[in-house]
Order: sequence, then C-alpha cells, then structure tokens
Amino acid sequence: MSKALIFLFSLALSLLLQILQLPDALSSLRPSWPLLVIAYWTLYEPKMPSLLAAWIVGVCCDTLFNSVLGENALALVLVASIISRLRSLYTLFPLWQAALALAPLWALHAFIIFWIDGITRHSADLSLRWLPVLSTTLIWPLFVGLLEGRRAARTDNLNRMRLP
Amino acid sequence: MNTTLTDTSRKPLFPSGPALGLRFLFFTLLSITLLVVDGRSDRFKPLRDWTSWALTPLIWVGNLPRAVSGGLEHFRSREALLAENRALRANQLEQAARLLQLSSLEAENQRIRELLASSTGLKDRVLIAEIFAASQDPYRHQIVLNKGARDGVYRGQAVLDAAGVMGQVVQVNPTTSVVLLITDPNHGIPVEINRTGLQTIALGRGDGQGLSLPYLPGNSDVKVGDVLVSSGLGGRFPAGYPVGEIYELHHTGGENFMEAAAYPRAKLHQGRQALLVWSEHATAADATDAPQVPIDLPANSPAKPKAKP
Repeated sequence: MSKALIFLFSLALSLLLQILQLPDALSSLRPSWPLLVIAYWTLYEPKMPSLLAAWIVGVCCDTLFNSVLGENALALVLVASIISRLRSLYTLFPLWQAALALAPLWALHAFIIFWIDGITRHSADLSLRWLPVLSTTLIWPLFVGLLEGRRAARTDNLNRMRLP
Repeated sequence: MNTTLTDTSRKPLFPSGPALGLRFLFFTLLSITLLVVDGRSDRFKPLRDWTSWALTPLIWVGNLPRAVSGGLEHFRSREALLAENRALRANQLEQAARLLQLSSLEAENQRIRELLASSTGLKDRVLIAEIFAASQDPYRHQIVLNKGARDGVYRGQAVLDAAGVMGQVVQVNPTTSVVLLITDPNHGIPVEINRTGLQTIALGRGDGQGLSLPYLPGNSDVKVGDVLVSSGLGGRFPAGYPVGEIYELHHTGGENFMEAAAYPRAKLHQGRQALLVWSEHATAADATDAPQVPIDLPANSPAKPKAKP
C-alpha cells in the first residue's frame, strides 16, 4: 500500500524536477528524472506496473514540453522494456558497473528523442542532446544509493540482506 | 554471508515471458499511433488539454521557487526603493516628453496615411498576460502564459514585451497558452531593416539568444547595428515593432546570399509580463492561411519566401 504511494509520489516528483526552473548553464546538464525513476522501479520493484507508468509519464512529458504526443512515451516505454528484459543481467552487476552498463540505454533514450525531433523538424544543438546522457549516468549510482539506503535501513531490522 | 531474497525480488528475476512482450508491443503501438496521428492532425487535442489541465498543480509547484524569490523582494531596503523611485520619476518625465512628441507624430502619421488612402491603424488591441512558466526543455524555446481560450487568445497571435516582439502563440488551452519564442529554430518572422526598408525573414538560431537572417542578397545595404522591425507581411505580426539588432555579418565569397546574425530586442528570459496583441489582419490570415497583403517589395530584395507558421 505505502509502496504504491511512494511509487506514484516518485513519478510526480520526477516530473516536477524535470520542469523545475534552473539557471541556463545547469539546465542543459539536467538528468532525465522520469527516466531515472522509471528505470529504478523497473529494476528494483518489477511487480510495479512500470511499463504503464512509463507510458503515462511519457505522455505527461510530451504535454509539458509541448512535443509531439507519444515521443517521450515511446522512448520511455522502450527503455523500460529493455531494462525489464535484461533485469537478471543488471542485478548481477555491482552498482558502479550497472551505472556504466545502463549508459547505452540513456543514450538510446536520447537518440529516440533526437530522431523523432528530427522527423518533426525540431533541430537542436548536439551537445544539448548528449549532456543529459552524461549527467544521468553520473547521477544513477547516487540516486539508487539514496533510495536503496532508505530501504536497507528498513529491512535491516529484519536482519535480512537484499539482492542486489 | 547470509543471503535471503525478499519476496519482491524472488520471483521475476527472469522476465515473465510473453506477457512482457505483449505489453511492450501494446504500449509501443499506442505511442506510435499517437505520434503519427498527433503529427498530422489535431485529433488528440482533447488528450493534450486534459493532461495539461491535470498537470497544472505540478506546473504551479514547479514555479514556486521563482514566486518565493519574487516574494522576498518585498523586504528590500528603503534606500533601494527610493533610488528606484527617483530613477523611475526621471524616466517617466523623459517618457512623458517623448509621448508629447509622439502624439504630434501620430497625428501627422494619421494625416499622411489618409493622404495615402491607407487605413492601417497604429493602435492594436492588447492584453497583458503573466508569464507562468518557461519551458525547461532545452530544445524548445517556449513560455507559458496565464491567459487562454477563455480570454480570447487564438493560435498564431503575436506576443510582445516592452522592448520588442517575443513570439507567437502556438497552443491555446482553456486557461493557459504556449508561446513559441522568436529564437526557436522552428520560428521565422518577416522583418524589415528599419534604416533601408529591406524586407527579409529572421529565423531563430536555436541557441536561445540569437536570430539569423539567411536570405539577404549579397549586395544589400546592411550594417552592424541596424534595427529590425516586424514588417507585417503575412499578417501574423503587427507591423513596426522592433524585433532585433544586427551584431554580425557573414558574406562568403561566391555565395549569392549574405547572412546576418541579430540579438532579439525583447527580453525573452527576463520579464514576467507579456503583451498579447490582436492585430487586424490576423484573423483573415489564419482563415485563409495565404497572406494577401499587397506591398511592393523594394527592387533589390529577393522574392520573399513564405514565413514558417
């Protein structure tokens, strides 16, 4: 019950972080928060309806950025399904290796957005496309460490070790 | 090490077979359908309206930091306020003097226009709107205003600020509207160079701070510092408002066209208010989508390419 609440709350928070006003210099380095949150839930809580959430959050992103409907939705759904397909692989890696191994997926996400933007004739500077990939990769270990730390604190009482 | 799986991670360590594939296929097809249909028509506008309505609280919260920092300005020092007051008084005096001059110029302009039997008025109907949010997507230069269809805002409406043209409305929601700024790479605005009257098109460069004028004839009379004003061709923007100022000229030898770069006059990322303008030709231009404004182009200007919508 409370997990479902945290799930919904984290999705809303990711959208909020995505539209929060930042100085121009930082704004291009903003990691893709919805992507991080969806990836986290897909990897660590596979029972959550992550694919549905990915699609809905994607449509919300499209509305917020006024891009073609389905653009962010498609990219998020693709990444989420690849992660859930390769979940057994990613959970075997230690955190920092998983962070590196996930980087191609962030790049895939950026590429799909780039591609659809190209089809709908929305060109932008290339560095603006790749900087979020970099920052998402760098922030992933921090992000997971934070959320898993919260959970570890809770489950330590039960004297259990979690995988991963 | 004592390793036990919790119930959440015990079962689906391996993907759950066809169910995942099916779900993936379903959502992918759904997204592609949305993409194709939304790219070509307005059929999903209700979905967009509904989502944007549902996300309004989120946008409001996202805008809170700015609102709070704005609120802190209440506690400014008395000296600062006095200084500002003095500066504003001086400014107001100066402007009043210029306004006196303007009214006589306006009267003169009116007389001359009557002589020319032209009915273009200088006065446009305007509405002040608050800038609600700036798009945080670095690929799109957009802002959201707090006026929408209920206030009579329409698609394609011109948006100005105190210093010049900001952009045009691209999407109207019931209570908000989205404005595409003139620096967006998808935006083009017909302009004329104030000094010579040369007509051309200013496109957004997409780096957030510049305009580019790629269609200048190689022999045209353009200088750094020239002011661009909206020409009113195409009927979407009212004529005569400042758009930008040229700061750089490129002319590659052998090329037919010379390219100029300009800074926009409007303070696109600074103000909190914007003016929505009802220009007289706009409704007609929107209805036919083929601007029919009979204006003689100067002899040395190229055939004017159609402005992007």
